[in-house]
Amino acid sequence: MFEIFFSRPNFMAFILLFLFGLFIMVTHKNLIKKLIGMYLLQTSVILFFVALGVKEGSTVPILLSPEYSQGASYANPLPQVLMLTAIVVGVATLGVSLALVIAIYHRYKTLEEDELVKRLEPGE
Amino acid sequence: MTNLPAFLFLIPFVVAISMPMVGLIRKNVCWPVALVALSSMSVVSFFAFHHVYLNGPISYRFGGWAPPLGIEWVLDGLSALVMILVSLMGLLTVFYAGPGVQKTMSQKIVPIYTLVLLLISALTGMVMAGDLFNLFVFLEVASLSAYALVAVGGGRALISSFRYLMLGTIGASFYLLGVGYLYAATGTLNMGDLSLRLSEILESRTVLSGVVFLLMGLAIKMALVPLHGWLPDAYAHAPEPICPIVAALMTKVALYALVRITFWVLGIETIFGNIPFMVYLGWIGAIATLAGALLALSEKNIKRMFAYGGLSHVGLVVLGISLGNKTGYTGGIFYLLNDAVMQAGLFFIAGTLIYRYGVKNVSDLTQIGGKMPWTVTALIVTALSMVGIPPTGGFFGKWYLVLGALEIGNYLAVAVIIVGTLLTLAFFIKILEKMLFEERQAPKLPGLEAPFPMRLGMGMVVVSILVLGIFSDPTIQLIQNVALPSGF
Repeated sequence: MFEIFFSRPNFMAFILLFLFGLFIMVTHKNLIKKLIGMYLLQTSVILFFVALGVKEGSTVPILLSPEYSQGASYANPLPQVLMLTAIVVGVATLGVSLALVIAIYHRYKTLEEDELVKRLEPGE
Repeated sequence: MTNLPAFLFLIPFVVAISMPMVGLIRKNVCWPVALVALSSMSVVSFFAFHHVYLNGPISYRFGGWAPPLGIEWVLDGLSALVMILVSLMGLLTVFYAGPGVQKTMSQKIVPIYTLVLLLISALTGMVMAGDLFNLFVFLEVASLSAYALVAVGGGRALISSFRYLMLGTIGASFYLLGVGYLYAATGTLNMGDLSLRLSEILESRTVLSGVVFLLMGLAIKMALVPLHGWLPDAYAHAPEPICPIVAALMTKVALYALVRITFWVLGIETIFGNIPFMVYLGWIGAIATLAGALLALSEKNIKRMFAYGGLSHVGLVVLGISLGNKTGYTGGIFYLLNDAVMQAGLFFIAGTLIYRYGVKNVSDLTQIGGKMPWTVTALIVTALSMVGIPPTGGFFGKWYLVLGALEIGNYLAVAVIIVGTLLTLAFFIKILEKMLFEERQAPKLPGLEAPFPMRLGMGMVVVSILVLGIFSDPTIQLIQNVALPSGF
């Protein structure tokens, strides 16, 4: 049973990172740490996609010259291209979330969730 | 004519991008410009629906590359119908938002209308997407705009928006993971091609896990109980003019994405036969219907109450599509159209109450008196529709859902729908009783009726609910002719 863990280290890394990211988001109270967990979550999915396209003995999917144009010798470029988009989406999400964190800090002067709950005004 | 989807997307998108330039010249021009963009988009969407109705689906290929290798936007019956919904509700809610934004957030006019138009253009991209990854990208653009719009007012809304962002990003990551599993199993992302290839490999665990992750991600985005945690806070604390825009559209388009993926990509034989998760989705929809209405009963804040009512409706639509027959599916889609109008109406009413009277809690409703005839009429008609009393659209939606459940002998679903209706009636009676029958208190703010755009918005909602109700039969026939997946 344990061969599964050692024969596919890429996917094991993805699972560990995904669960780590989720754990950090849930357990830590600091907003910035939650954001780190969120970005780790997104990065793990990116790792998963890129790991899908890896072939044994393949190289970077950039056309070296017209002679080396057999598809089999290159890694699958489609997941890598999709993940470029996903990285941009992740960066945009991080940008919006950091702007939110700055606004929260300006308003409440704290970034810990339990402190935030205490500093809410009644009726808010 | 094949460029029609591109026009539908570009009209709000180009105006969104040029909105900062427009706003730099003169701030107050932003609202009319947004209205012009959305009305032209509505006209084009009607034209597109007419074309699709007569000539069949339109497929727009990016860069001319043919699918399945290229990315495409598909306008078929269902997406053209939801396109009309998005553009019309967008126009109505932006029209409503004008006075509120002017009064409470006038220094942020330019970013607000930019974000609103970006939201609507991203929702357009989502509705027309013919490719799973394209759907993800536009889902994220729409969600980011929604997070920013919820937070625009500042204060408590910042924390609600942060929670929305956290949960929404988890949902999007799950969705992307599901797309990755399906890509790993079949090698393609195009929805049409995927449906062909998936039918051969359904027993594999990859496909099963992929589908589960995909549906979980979408369930978070459309706030299906128990994954609804972000919605009550986000809708209750979002600024009043903006709330209808987000509330009327976000969850409905995510519901549309669910329908598209389960009925078109996976196919009816799969979701009811080989991987019968629609049964379980039906159970979750039933729980959502009851939980939403029950949770609304204990609320004191009007906007939170309406937000929980919206949760109940999402559950009803999921219950409808999970029944598995034509009537149930049509009832579900018809109820989706109604629900967008009803949610917009409810948040219009809540916004008007806050705008003129500062009324936020149900106990303050006694201050209204006879001074807001439009608001009270709108509330009565919307309440009738939410509960499901003829001739409003909500009644016919629930009628078809119950009919669909009876056709297959699912009496539990009928019981759930009826109990949900009774619970909705209970919390609306609370509101109507406070507004109409209890002793008048002196109002704390000098209030009059709402300004013209807000009144017109509420009037249009009343008219739409009645039109959807009176013309429910042609609408149902339209849905059955045009928006049915293959296999029904």
